[in-house]
Amino acid sequence: MRNNPSSKAYRTILDTSRFYRSLGVPALVILAFLFILPLSIILSKAFVDSDGGFTFNRLIGNLTSAYTLRILAFTLFQASVSTVASVLIGLPGAYLLATYRFPGKRIIRAICTIPFVLPSILVVLGFVIFYGNNGLINQLLMNLFGLEEPPLRILYSFTAIILAHAFYNFPIALGLISSFWEQLPAHCNQAAATMGAKRWTVFRTITLPRLMPAILSAATLIFLFCFSSFAIMLVLGGGPQFTTLEVEIYRRARMTMDQGGAAALSLLSIVVALVLIFIYSWTQRSLARQEEIQETVQGRLPRSPQSLRAKILVVLYTLFSVVFVLGPLAGIILRSFQAPGSRSGNLEFTVKWYEQLFGIQSQAGSILGTAGTAVLLSVVIATITAIISLIIGAMTAATLRLSKGRANLTMELMAMLPMAVSSVIIGLGYYLISSFFNESKTTGSILIVLAHVVIASPFVLRTVLPEYRKIPFTYTQASLTLGATVSQTFFKVELPLLRGALATGAAFAFAISMGEINATLVLANAQVVTMPVVMYRLIGSYNFPGACALGTLLIVCCALVFSLTESLKRRPHA
Amino acid sequence: MPEYGLVCTGLAVQYPEFKLNLDFSIIQGELVSIIGPSGCGKSTTLQLITGLLPAEQGTIHLHGRDITDTPVWEREIGMVFQDYALFPHLNVEENIAYGLRLRKTPRGQRKTGVAELLKLVGLEGYQKRKTIDLSGGERQRIALARALAIKPKLLLLDEPLSALDAQLRKHLREEIRNIHASTGITTVYVTHDQEEALTISDRILVMNNGHMEQLDTPENIYMQPATLFAARFMGDGTLLSHTVIPQTIVSTDKGPEAVVFRSSGENRQIFFRPERVVVHDNQELAFPEFLPHLRFTNCRVRSCEYQGGRYLIGCEWNGNRILAYNRFRPARELITLGVRVSDLVEYQDGVVYRRH
Repeated sequence: MRNNPSSKAYRTILDTSRFYRSLGVPALVILAFLFILPLSIILSKAFVDSDGGFTFNRLIGNLTSAYTLRILAFTLFQASVSTVASVLIGLPGAYLLATYRFPGKRIIRAICTIPFVLPSILVVLGFVIFYGNNGLINQLLMNLFGLEEPPLRILYSFTAIILAHAFYNFPIALGLISSFWEQLPAHCNQAAATMGAKRWTVFRTITLPRLMPAILSAATLIFLFCFSSFAIMLVLGGGPQFTTLEVEIYRRARMTMDQGGAAALSLLSIVVALVLIFIYSWTQRSLARQEEIQETVQGRLPRSPQSLRAKILVVLYTLFSVVFVLGPLAGIILRSFQAPGSRSGNLEFTVKWYEQLFGIQSQAGSILGTAGTAVLLSVVIATITAIISLIIGAMTAATLRLSKGRANLTMELMAMLPMAVSSVIIGLGYYLISSFFNESKTTGSILIVLAHVVIASPFVLRTVLPEYRKIPFTYTQASLTLGATVSQTFFKVELPLLRGALATGAAFAFAISMGEINATLVLANAQVVTMPVVMYRLIGSYNFPGACALGTLLIVCCALVFSLTESLKRRPHA
Repeated sequence: MPEYGLVCTGLAVQYPEFKLNLDFSIIQGELVSIIGPSGCGKSTTLQLITGLLPAEQGTIHLHGRDITDTPVWEREIGMVFQDYALFPHLNVEENIAYGLRLRKTPRGQRKTGVAELLKLVGLEGYQKRKTIDLSGGERQRIALARALAIKPKLLLLDEPLSALDAQLRKHLREEIRNIHASTGITTVYVTHDQEEALTISDRILVMNNGHMEQLDTPENIYMQPATLFAARFMGDGTLLSHTVIPQTIVSTDKGPEAVVFRSSGENRQIFFRPERVVVHDNQELAFPEFLPHLRFTNCRVRSCEYQGGRYLIGCEWNGNRILAYNRFRPARELITLGVRVSDLVEYQDGVVYRRH
C-alpha cells in the first residue's frame, strides 16, 4: 500500500493547502532569526581582529594551540567514558524492561524521562548532597560502620564527573534501547533457537546486532549531551585540569573577556556537534527503517519473571535506578529541611532556609535574600518561554508533518540545528548582542527569554511532531468532506487530538526554561538573576542547604506543571 | 432521459508511473460499485470526486452542477473511509453532529437528526458512547451515519467492509443496500471483492490500470464481460483459442453452427464460466443434448476442489485447462465436458468481439 499511487494522492489537498504552509513558514523564520542572529555575531567575532579587519589568524591560532587541543581532547575523552558508562548501566535495564513485567516497571519508565527535564544544576547539587564528603552516602556508611572519616572521597575528581554524567544520562540509554527492544519480534530468536543456538548465542548473533541502531542512536545522543555538558563540569570539574570546551568558552567570555577566543572555540564546538548530529540522524533513519519492517510483526510480550535469579535482578535494578536517580533528588529535599542543632550539632528539622529565602528571616547581603525575586523572575520567564515555544513548535509541526523525502530531512535538520549549537553558545551570542543595549533588567530578561525559546522550541517540536504524524490523514479528509475548511479542521480536529502532546511540550519548555543555567549564566547581566543562577552562586559559596531549599522549590514548580499537564490529557486515540 | 447524479468527463491525473483517465456517468439514486485490483486507481477516483485530490483535466458534475473547482468542504459529498476515521476525541453523537455543527444547524435539530440517523443504522441510544469502545461493525455504521448526516447529494464508500469478518460483511452489505433503498442517495461503493460488488450494485464499474474496462449491470459484467480483463477479474473461467471450435462443435440437425462460426477466428479467443459447463462422467449414460455446443471428450481431471455445495473441477484437454462446476465429484478420471455455443464470449485483442 505504501507505494501505490493512491496513497501518495491521499495527501495532495493538504500539500497544496496554503494554510499549513502559512503556519510553519513564519514560525521557522522567527526561529531561524532568533538562532542565526546570535550565531552570526559569534562567527563574525571569530573572524574579526582587534582592528576590525577580517582575519583567519585568530581562528587558526586558537584552534592549533596546545591548550585548546588539550581541552578538546579531554572533552572528547570524558564524553566517551561517560557514554560508555551510561550505555553499560542502561543496557541491563533495557533487557529487563523489554523482557519482564514487574511492579517497578512504571517507576523505571518515569525515570527514563527525567534527564530531559531535570536541570543540570539540580544534578550537580543532588550529586554533592548524595556523594559529597558530608553527603548522605558517607553519613550512612559512617553511621553503619562507626567510621570517623567519610570513606567516599570522590567530589571534584574525574570519577565524580563520569558518575554525574552517567547518573544524568543512563536513563536515556535505558529508555531508547528498551522501547526498541520491546518491539523486536521474538520470531527471529525462536528461529535461531530451533536451529540450535543457545540463549547467549542468540543474544550475541541475533539480538545484539539488531539492537545496534538503537544502541548507536542512544550513544550518540548521550555523547552529544556529555560533550556540551556545562554546569556539571563547571562545579565538579573544579579547576583547569578538568575544563571542557563549553566551560572554556564561558571562562573566556565572562572572565578573561576574550570574546574572539570564545567565538573561535564556539565554532570548533559547533563543528564537532554537527558531526554528532549527522551521525544521530543517520542512526535515527536506520531505526525508522527497522521499525517499518517490524510494523506488522507482533513484538515481544513481557512476562513476569519466573526464576529466582530474574526476580533478584529485577528488584536490584529497580532499587538501583531509584536510589541512583531519585536518591539525589530526595537528598536535596531532605537537606533543605535540615540544619545543625544549636546545642548537639546534630541535624534537626528546620524551615529556616525557606524563611531566609523569602526574606522572612533576612540576613544582610546574603545571596539567599535575592532568591524571592529570582523565583518570581524565573517563573515569569519560563511561562513566557513556554507560550512562545509552544506556538512556534505547534506551527512548525503542522507544516513539517506534510513534508516528506528530502525537504522533510532538511527541515527537520533545521529544527534540530539548535541542538548542534549548545546552549552556552546561544548564551554567548545573546551576551554579545546585549552589548548593543543598555544594561537593564527588562532587556536582560527579554534576551534570556529569546535564548530560552531557541533552546526549548526544538523540544516542543519533537514532542508534538510524532503525535501529529500519528493522526491518520483520513481524519483530516473526513472532516473536509463533512464540510469543514482546512483551518476549521486544524482547530476542531487536529489541535484537540494534539492536546496531550501540546501540554507535554509546554511543560517541557517551562521546565527547561526554569532550570536553564548554561545560556543564562553566560548571558545574564548583574541585574537579571534567575533561580538556577542563585543556586549556582549558593553552591559556589558552599551554602548547600540554601541551594537545596531553592532546588526543592524548582522541583516542586516543575512537578506541579507536569502534573497539571497530565490532568489536562485525555485518553489518547486508539 | 435519466437524470444524471454524477458525471465525470475526461477526468485525468498523472503520476510518474501511473495515469488515470476516466469517463463515466451515474444516474441519480443509483448504487455503483467501483472494482479493480489494488493500485488500479479506485481510491484515486474517489479522491478526485471528493476534491481531496485536484483533477488535472476533465470535469465533474454533481446533480447538473459543475463541481470541478469547488473545494472539498462545499461539495456536499459524504464519504465513509476505509478506517472509518471517526474522531477519537469526540463521542458518537459529536461525531455524527460534526458536519451539522459546521452548518450551524440548531441544537434541537441536531439532536433529533442524530437520533434518526442512529435509528437508521440500528444503533439507537449510542449517542454518548466513546468511539474507541465500539466494535468494528459499530464503527462502520457510525461512520455511515456521520456521512449521511450532512444530507449529501452523493455518498462515497471506500472499501467500507474490508476490515470486518466475513459474517459481518455479509450482514452489513445487506444493511447498506437497505439504507440506500430508504435514502435514495446516489452512491459510489469501492471494493475489491467481486462477490460484494455483484450482490450490492445496480451497476459495476470495472477499473484497471487507471481506466474503465466496463460499466454495466452485475449480470452483464459477469456473463458478458466487455474485456478479457473484466472477464477474468470477476470470476473463474476458461479461455481457449477460437480454433478449438471446429474441433469440438457438435452437429445437430437443428444447429446452424456452420453459419455461426463461418468466419475464421484464428486470432480470437473464447471464454466461458465454469457453471456453464456440463460434466459428463459416465459413458454408459447418454450425453445430455442441447442446442449447438462444444464437446470436449477425454478430459483428464487434474484437480477437484470442494467448495461446499459444488466442486470446482480443473481438467486438462489437449494441453488446455478447462474449469467446470459440478454437484458431484467425478466418478472417473476421464470425463466429457460440454458448453453451449450461446454461453461463449469471444474476444479479439482482449476486447469482446461481437458478431453481427
